Amino acid sequence: MKIFRSHLLICGGTGCKSSGSATIKETLLKELEKRKLDEEIKVVETGCNGFCALGPIMVVYPDTVLYVMLKPTDIPELVEEHLVKGRVLERLVYKEPVTDKAIPTMQDIPFFALQELRVLRNRGLIDPEKIEEYIARDGYAGMAKALTEMTPDQILKEMLDSGLRGRGGAGFPTGMKWKFAAQSQSDVKYVLCNADEGDPGAFMDRSVLEGDPHAVLEGMVIAAKAIGSHNGYIYCRAEYPLAIHRLNVAIGQAKEAGLLGENILGTGFDFDLEIYQGAGAFVCGEETALMTSIEGKRGMPRPRPPFPAVAGLWQKPSILNNVETLANVGQIILRGAKWYSSVGTERSKGTKVFALTGDVANVGLVEVPMGTTLGTIVYDIGGGIPKGKKFKAAQLGGPSGGCIPVQHLNAPVDYEKVAELGAIMGSGGLIVMNEGKCAVDMARFFMDFCQDESCGKCTPCREGTKRMLEILTNITHGKGKEGDIELLEEMAEVIKNSALCGLGQTAPNPVLSTIRYFRNEYVEHIRDHHCRAAVCSAMFKSPCQHTCPIEMDIPSYIALIRAERFDDAYKILLQTNPFPSVCGRVCDHKCQTKCRRGSTDEPLAIKFLKRFITDNAKRPPVEMVPVTRKEKIAVIGAGPAGLTTARDLAMRGYKVTVFEELSHAGGMLYWGIPSYRLPRNILDKEIDDIKALGVDIKLNTRVGRDINFANLDKDFDYIYLATGAHKSQKMGLPGEDLKNVFGGVEFLRDFNANEDKWINGQKKLGSKVAVIGGGNSAIDAARVALRLGAEVTILYRRLKQDMPAADEEIKAAEEEGIKIELLVAPLKIEGKGDKVTSITCQRMKLGNFDSSGRKRPVAIADSEFTLQVDAVIAAVGQVPDMSFVDKKSGIVVNKWDTFDVGNVYNSRTGNERYFAGGDAVTGPDTVIGAIAAGHKAADDMDSAIRTANGEPAYEKSAEEKIDIPLIIDEETVESPQMAMPELESAERKLNFGEVELGFSREDAIKEACRCLRCDAEL
Amino acid sequence: MAKLTINDLKKIKEKVHKEMALRDGTRRVKVTVHMGTCGIASGANEVMDAILQEIEETGVSDVFVTTSGCMGLCSREPLVTVEIINKEPIKYEHMNPNKMRQVFRKHILEGEVQTPFVLARGTEVVK
Amino acid sequence: MKSVDEELLKEFTPEQVAKLNEIINKYKNKPGGLIPVLEEAQVALEYLPLPVQKKIAEGLNLPLSRVYGVVTFYSFFCMTPRGKHTVRVCLGTACYVRGGKAIHETIQKQFGIEDGETTADRLFTLETVRCLGACGLGPVVVVDEDVHGRVKPGKVKEILSQYT
Repeated sequence: MKIFRSHLLICGGTGCKSSGSATIKETLLKELEKRKLDEEIKVVETGCNGFCALGPIMVVYPDTVLYVMLKPTDIPELVEEHLVKGRVLERLVYKEPVTDKAIPTMQDIPFFALQELRVLRNRGLIDPEKIEEYIARDGYAGMAKALTEMTPDQILKEMLDSGLRGRGGAGFPTGMKWKFAAQSQSDVKYVLCNADEGDPGAFMDRSVLEGDPHAVLEGMVIAAKAIGSHNGYIYCRAEYPLAIHRLNVAIGQAKEAGLLGENILGTGFDFDLEIYQGAGAFVCGEETALMTSIEGKRGMPRPRPPFPAVAGLWQKPSILNNVETLANVGQIILRGAKWYSSVGTERSKGTKVFALTGDVANVGLVEVPMGTTLGTIVYDIGGGIPKGKKFKAAQLGGPSGGCIPVQHLNAPVDYEKVAELGAIMGSGGLIVMNEGKCAVDMARFFMDFCQDESCGKCTPCREGTKRMLEILTNITHGKGKEGDIELLEEMAEVIKNSALCGLGQTAPNPVLSTIRYFRNEYVEHIRDHHCRAAVCSAMFKSPCQHTCPIEMDIPSYIALIRAERFDDAYKILLQTNPFPSVCGRVCDHKCQTKCRRGSTDEPLAIKFLKRFITDNAKRPPVEMVPVTRKEKIAVIGAGPAGLTTARDLAMRGYKVTVFEELSHAGGMLYWGIPSYRLPRNILDKEIDDIKALGVDIKLNTRVGRDINFANLDKDFDYIYLATGAHKSQKMGLPGEDLKNVFGGVEFLRDFNANEDKWINGQKKLGSKVAVIGGGNSAIDAARVALRLGAEVTILYRRLKQDMPAADEEIKAAEEEGIKIELLVAPLKIEGKGDKVTSITCQRMKLGNFDSSGRKRPVAIADSEFTLQVDAVIAAVGQVPDMSFVDKKSGIVVNKWDTFDVGNVYNSRTGNERYFAGGDAVTGPDTVIGAIAAGHKAADDMDSAIRTANGEPAYEKSAEEKIDIPLIIDEETVESPQMAMPELESAERKLNFGEVELGFSREDAIKEACRCLRCDAEL
Repeated sequence: MAKLTINDLKKIKEKVHKEMALRDGTRRVKVTVHMGTCGIASGANEVMDAILQEIEETGVSDVFVTTSGCMGLCSREPLVTVEIINKEPIKYEHMNPNKMRQVFRKHILEGEVQTPFVLARGTEVVK
Repeated sequence: MKSVDEELLKEFTPEQVAKLNEIINKYKNKPGGLIPVLEEAQVALEYLPLPVQKKIAEGLNLPLSRVYGVVTFYSFFCMTPRGKHTVRVCLGTACYVRGGKAIHETIQKQFGIEDGETTADRLFTLETVRCLGACGLGPVVVVDEDVHGRVKPGKVKEILSQYT
């Protein structure tokens, strides 16, 4: 017998086979042969050992190391490491799952715990194809009670008392509907079930029919008894084959058991029913159209009266109830009206099933008491919005409904409240939309649906929906006109009032509701050809470029990186952005949130690629631009907004002088952002380029102190105010005036001005520092404090996901060892003499939603605690310092301490010669926002000057033509974003060196190849 | 099935209750594969095939497999409930044939709950 | 009657025509039988061209206009032959918001067919549908009876290559 030094046991069970163990075995044999190990090592195929989910699996004996999820490509490395070198290949070794992980109970999971199951009470518990299991859970007991113990009048009374309203959409009281039909005299009456669930996004009826079909049959028999009917139909859409199958099984079993057909339960009552397959027409969900369809005709609605209760199917008295309504009936009769009406709101009783779909973590069916708030459904039950996106609105009621936006998350969902907010309950389709959805496009989508499904019988619906769709399509294509919104509103009213049936009457709802809540987005589409969600692609080249506030040509510079033409890429950057190397580091990269690659795996690292260009390409030289214009321009404030305006105007031939109060240009870029995020020399190079154009920057010059307002007014023709927001907001707490309490921006400014003194200890912060706030300045201040040797705790009153700071900054702070205390608010700062000794805080819990869709923090009583600290940095917000503005100048400062603008031009103040922009207008915003404001102001000022002089508008001189290569990969292989190499966190604490190290050439090109080239026109 | 009377309804209820509660002696484990359209579309059929195959291969006779409708949490489909006599039911999420085989071998046969695949234990409460 | 059958036999087998007769007879005296007849006829014959409609009209004693009206009203019925496989892209709201539109565009581009059209090799017919009720899995593409959930544009080719 041959002796092998090692046995390799490969699992050949069905599971591992199906995940490719045969190929593994083959590859392994080949590899062993190649390395001439086949005489020493034996490969054995074994039976299943149960770890199928991790297959293919291999155990190496005698070491008994278990390798899992092997791929053929792993084999050479595995042989090399384990069998040649004798080292275990950790990467592929089975890791013991955390077995002591507590398993939650169903009641620990909010998705299940917050639901109240009535219609769905049998879900997942019974086999829908076994009538016994339904009976075992009180099935047909309600029917038995109705047939043996109750008169039709008693059944009607019970139904009326229960308060059940039609779950198909309109919410008409079920008992009332039945009563009318009961009162009609006729030998033949019909009970119809509407299972033509056509509302896109609603699937509760399908689920009930598939999971609990007998509940519907039971409801129908009770209804039949109540109105005196002996025949019924279930009108089910052909798209639900499984539902039809299970219904057929259920009907067969019920008939066999004598629960349907003649002499039910021996009581002498007869009721028979059959299934009628709908052939695909949304309008057949309308009751009269449905009846026409059963009659074998085109499913068109009929005018009412006569109402179906008098003359319905085949002109006989008929009632039509929806699946969910009928599934409630058996329980109501069995347990009584009182039981049923014990939950719900005053006028909407019982529970409602919602089909929760769209941009929500837990997609599924949800049954909750009427009056449950929208926020509870979306956040607590639905688990919130995935991928860290924000909630925008929930569409309720499908194409007949409307949307409910973020400010109404606290609204209790019942018939009345939903109608008040401009939506309808409908059948309960609840589609969650995140910020990436365009309101106009959604309206267009629903109108397209209604237009398509309009049966064509009445003119308002047939023609009206078509015309409305045309207008909406034009708007989404950037061809909207002024007055379109008003026209849509007018047409909507006409259609609502004049269409024959529910489909037409409700078709305009989505349009009206989006106009109601998102009118601004309509205006942006029409006036600015801008779609903030970057959905309406006819208006732009690529979503990233459209989303960038200065519309940087992102696809082009990424394509140039791929082609390794970095110098050309740099030129593209400078076409729109004076500060590309700054933005490559500190931009909030809104572009990446709309990158289409993100829906496949992860968005492109656009910011890092931009930085790569500026780090690795030659910065194009800048030449002085001769002054050709007579108007003199002053810019107040040398931040990104002011410098952008200065650059643009200098390039158009104006003489520009910039006045800056502080000793260095750059504004917040220099004074607010620490050097570990933005090294000083990087910023200075970009400012030098602006100076090289001929812009004059006068430092240490504050308007109102070093030069007065009147002189400014006299010496310059036009003035741009870009003074930023450099004053920290006060918290309004006792002890805030103590010596070691700093404002966030003041601290950062002092540090940046006196970096040496802080580092060598001449200036001292403290050893234990509390930073209050959750924005970028709070994180910046905290990370600086940490680098000065302090132990730092950030106190924030909400949750981490609510922090306005960039995610990557928060993550970096935590990695460096900064502690973040969430749901904590400061109450007072205590001190000894003028020194801080401690800060007292209280714990917060989350209450209802605020208008931004975040849960409001509410103080927990008696939860005060004290932290021993010797310094406090309060970074709770910034405001502009407006004390320099001459009150008589006509420049208006509003109650938020920002400039009022919009005097004909977007950036002009009340005084025609004064323009303003950046943080001084918007309050604290981003770098890219300030640059965008700067561009806009330059355009506005130039345009105002030329208009005043009667000159033609400015025309940009032709730029150097850069040819953009077009290489698109046929196949997209999923691969995540390239990671940015960073300084080790231990090393970071010791100095102010830049943390992010920049992509290597290889990484950058690889990352650039991930671009899907949405800009390509084929 | 013969035509039922009201008394029959009660009798069926009691009988099935016993069966569903695994108390008739021959059944030790009940496995429910949740098969609505959503479950089937995400692979419940394959999961069902896998467990039936395992039962056949191992020849066990005290495990009984049944189907049911949608559990409501469509985004975690396919879902499978494993209920061993005298123990709380365990619900597994995102199942596939391999996971089903592993659950069968490790949990159903050896009693070791496969925690990484578990959604929750217990059942929903109907008030 | 004869001429109608002759016309039918140009496109269909005698077995199919016999099946059609059987379906018509089943529903002949049933009120509202037209739609079930059309549904079953479409299953047997795959599509419902005018000769079939004429035959049904005669059989049920209805005017042809009534039959034609119903066929054109409901989306389930079609009058032209179809591909071997039907690819239905769901553009219901839930799928739409999860990227159904991009899937639809990808298929159109890859096969060079518009909505409702059949590929030259008669392998695939492309359709869009309004919500299949599988919203939890959006975006959804249904090929014949198979539902493919969470489809990404890059995966379309792979999915369709399974069908030959």
